[in-house]
Amino acid sequence: MESRSEQFKNDIFEISAEAGDARSGVLRIGDTELSTPNLLPVVNFYAGGTDASLYGGGIHRTIKEFMNGDEVVNGGDYSRYFDGVMTSVASLTDYGISRERYEDYISEPIRERDVFDFDGTLFLDSGGFKFLGDSRLDGSDFEVEVDQEAIVEIQRKLGGDVLVNLDRPIAPDDDYPTRVEKARLTAQNVDEFLNLTSRDDTRYLTLHGYNYSMLDTFLSEVEKVIGRDRVHREFDGVALGSLVPLKDNKEKLITAVSDCREVLADWGFEELPLHVLGISSSAIPLLAAVGADTFDSSSYIHSAINGKYDTSLYNSEPVDDVDFSKCDCQVCSDDVLVKRMEGDAEYQKDKLGAVAMHNLIIQKEEIQRMQSAIQSPGDGELISYIEQSLGREKSMQQHAHRVVNESLGGYF
Amino acid sequence: MSTTKTPQVNEVNEFLEIASDFEDPLEVIRESLSNSYDAGATEVEITIRDRPIGSEIVIEDDGEGMDHADLESFFDLGNSTKRGRQNGSIGYKGHGTKIFYKSEEVLVNTTKNGTNLRAQMDQPWEKLNNRTMPEYVLNEEAVKEGNSGTHIRITGFKSGHGFSPASLTYNKIEHYLKWKTLAGSTGHFFTDDFPEMEITVTLGDEIDDTRDQLVMNNKLEFPTEQRNPGEGQFSESRMCKHYPPRELTVETENGTKTTVEVVGMVGGKDARNELPTYGKHSAQFGVWLAKDHIKVERVNDTISHDNEFLHFFFIANCQDLELSANREKIRNKSSPVYQAIVEELSHYLSKIASDPWFKDYLSHRRKAKLTRRAESQQSSIEKREQRIQDRNRFTPSNDAEVVLGLERSNRFGAEPEITVEDYDPSAEVNALVRQDTNLYASSIHRRLTDHFKADKPLESVDKIVCWSYGDRDELSELERSGYHSGEVTIDLENDRLIYNNGRRHNIHIVTVQDRL
Repeated sequence: MESRSEQFKNDIFEISAEAGDARSGVLRIGDTELSTPNLLPVVNFYAGGTDASLYGGGIHRTIKEFMNGDEVVNGGDYSRYFDGVMTSVASLTDYGISRERYEDYISEPIRERDVFDFDGTLFLDSGGFKFLGDSRLDGSDFEVEVDQEAIVEIQRKLGGDVLVNLDRPIAPDDDYPTRVEKARLTAQNVDEFLNLTSRDDTRYLTLHGYNYSMLDTFLSEVEKVIGRDRVHREFDGVALGSLVPLKDNKEKLITAVSDCREVLADWGFEELPLHVLGISSSAIPLLAAVGADTFDSSSYIHSAINGKYDTSLYNSEPVDDVDFSKCDCQVCSDDVLVKRMEGDAEYQKDKLGAVAMHNLIIQKEEIQRMQSAIQSPGDGELISYIEQSLGREKSMQQHAHRVVNESLGGYF
Repeated sequence: MSTTKTPQVNEVNEFLEIASDFEDPLEVIRESLSNSYDAGATEVEITIRDRPIGSEIVIEDDGEGMDHADLESFFDLGNSTKRGRQNGSIGYKGHGTKIFYKSEEVLVNTTKNGTNLRAQMDQPWEKLNNRTMPEYVLNEEAVKEGNSGTHIRITGFKSGHGFSPASLTYNKIEHYLKWKTLAGSTGHFFTDDFPEMEITVTLGDEIDDTRDQLVMNNKLEFPTEQRNPGEGQFSESRMCKHYPPRELTVETENGTKTTVEVVGMVGGKDARNELPTYGKHSAQFGVWLAKDHIKVERVNDTISHDNEFLHFFFIANCQDLELSANREKIRNKSSPVYQAIVEELSHYLSKIASDPWFKDYLSHRRKAKLTRRAESQQSSIEKREQRIQDRNRFTPSNDAEVVLGLERSNRFGAEPEITVEDYDPSAEVNALVRQDTNLYASSIHRRLTDHFKADKPLESVDKIVCWSYGDRDELSELERSGYHSGEVTIDLENDRLIYNNGRRHNIHIVTVQDRL
């Protein structure tokens, strides 16, 4: 029997506290450190334009200005909210990028660029959900044949700290043969991904499935293609995908994540960090309680674009009705930004960008509270956190009860 | 000119009204127990006799007794010396003791601080009904310091219909006391210095001679816990889990705070049967709101769990609940505090309903039900087997079996071969059968007469396949009176039915019975 140190040579995750199935720890990747559980905001590093415009358009540019603490957003230091960031290779396809601009964009790793003052952990998703969601490859916008090789090349050039294989997400109505086929195709990409990267890289394996059996089948297919040894030795973390279509069904989300933790335990991957792709807001405390370590989401921006100002992970108000004096976050304490949110702004991006930043702060602070609850001795703090937040929302009460009972030791 | 007027009270009518709310002699005991408890009694003895001159209810306690003021408030209306909320005593409205007026005589003999007071009231009920305020004669006597206690005798209590003392039994009293009075208090779950009381009830032999007396304490106790299923078919029925006392803080929208003390159990039928039962089971279990730790009213809609409230027995006490004069109902249901209490209880009970133990209990319950169903299936199969053994030959018991009979007749070589190609029991013409190479629209029934009983058409039917003809008289009647405004002729010799409704239809009758 090999020792654990041999098994996980690239051990990046140190769990320092557990409360039931929830855990808190530190992800150390290269020279970055990220405490968990944590939420990685999705930042669109390429949203059109050139480096002079922070490669950004609209609200995405404003977010990057907050990241940088630019004077245009009144110069505050918001870097702690960007301790970890998710970006996707697929963001390149959102804008009609030319070959020339593409070459320019990927010519320097993001964290080394002068235009960005960013030193957090960069999670670089493959964009499988976008490229392959409808079962076809399309890199035509920038004339690149998108395959696993191209994705790894882009991930490397952009300087991702965490790399993820190109995957084929499943859909809730996929039948068994379709899911097996997608797993097989993903496994082929995984095989190539491992060949193209090395043990020095931080590599996350994507998993897709909504319950134990689906996830087990998925892992079995991967094992069939890449072999038992490589499944067990080569990965530093796991990214659970395909959950976005279930985002409004908390019951299924909880099942997917808790079953995922169970499968990982049965496969001997229990201590790998588990990232949940594309889930945020009210689901975070529930999923962290059942053992998810990191999340990524762009909901802070989408809410803002829809005129929603978050008052908690679970509630929001129309931005035009908000009394900003009730919030003491950094954005709402800044008179210039408050004026903009009140409508005194030249462009929508100035108004809604500030709202998005506020929304992100709300989510990040809530995550911070969860971290402290998990780190407090015993399971009581986390239970009372879940109780006081979700347990008092009628629609969430049953889910809160479920995670307390199933993952945190129960009430009685 | 303006004048100030004070509304007047007709005192006699008030006494009448309030005393009229009480019907059951057991309510006399309920009120007396509360008084004894408030007087700090540790022992209460209740004796009930049914004498030729009328019933006699005697309550004797070793409490601190009454002085002049206490005795006055005992007889007065709405003039209690108790201040319930402040000192934890049960009564404070000064209504309860008015139940004693519904009798022929009230005699109170009480000793406090070296003074014995004896008050006697004659014919209070009769006098009230004659619109006269009854009076009591008071005698005072010095006794040795240190003696205390109260002795109350109610003679000739006027029970409502069906409530007479003669109808009491020890069993009934025991259950009543545990359900409706402080004998079933849940207060001991919440405090270490709970005042314990021993309650002794003696019924005259003319009422119940099954035992000498009944002795109980003033604590509600749950059946012992049994978290795991037992043996046997209904393994869940003795399962029982206690949910320990919890103090829930309830805050109303306007910021008022109150505390709800809740304690309870969940359990199967056998466990519940160990609880006292006063009335129907279904009217007892669920969630009870209580005041002074005595159950008052149920709020079962706080249990969302498919309304399976029967498995739950919870008592939620809150001193901010206000009761009607006879303590049967909660008076302040429209208050924000009541609403907040109910909401908080729903939240708490939702946790109980999601307790994995409860889910496990329900799953055992489901298994028991399935076992029962399987058993009933087995017994049904056995009956059917018996029926087959008892009969000499195949006989169909439904239309589908007629199809089986027909197929069997083909197998045994009956001529001509008729096979069912399509059978849809819900269709008007329920089968298509093949004979030689042709398909025939057919109606398949156990008896030919069933076709007519089902009011099915004849125009589009080529064949009627049946086990037998059925009641030939019915067929004759059809021939006599016609069917669907046409004429019917049945030619049994040639297995043929002729239907004429302007056009003539020949229908072939296949009697499967004859083919086997």
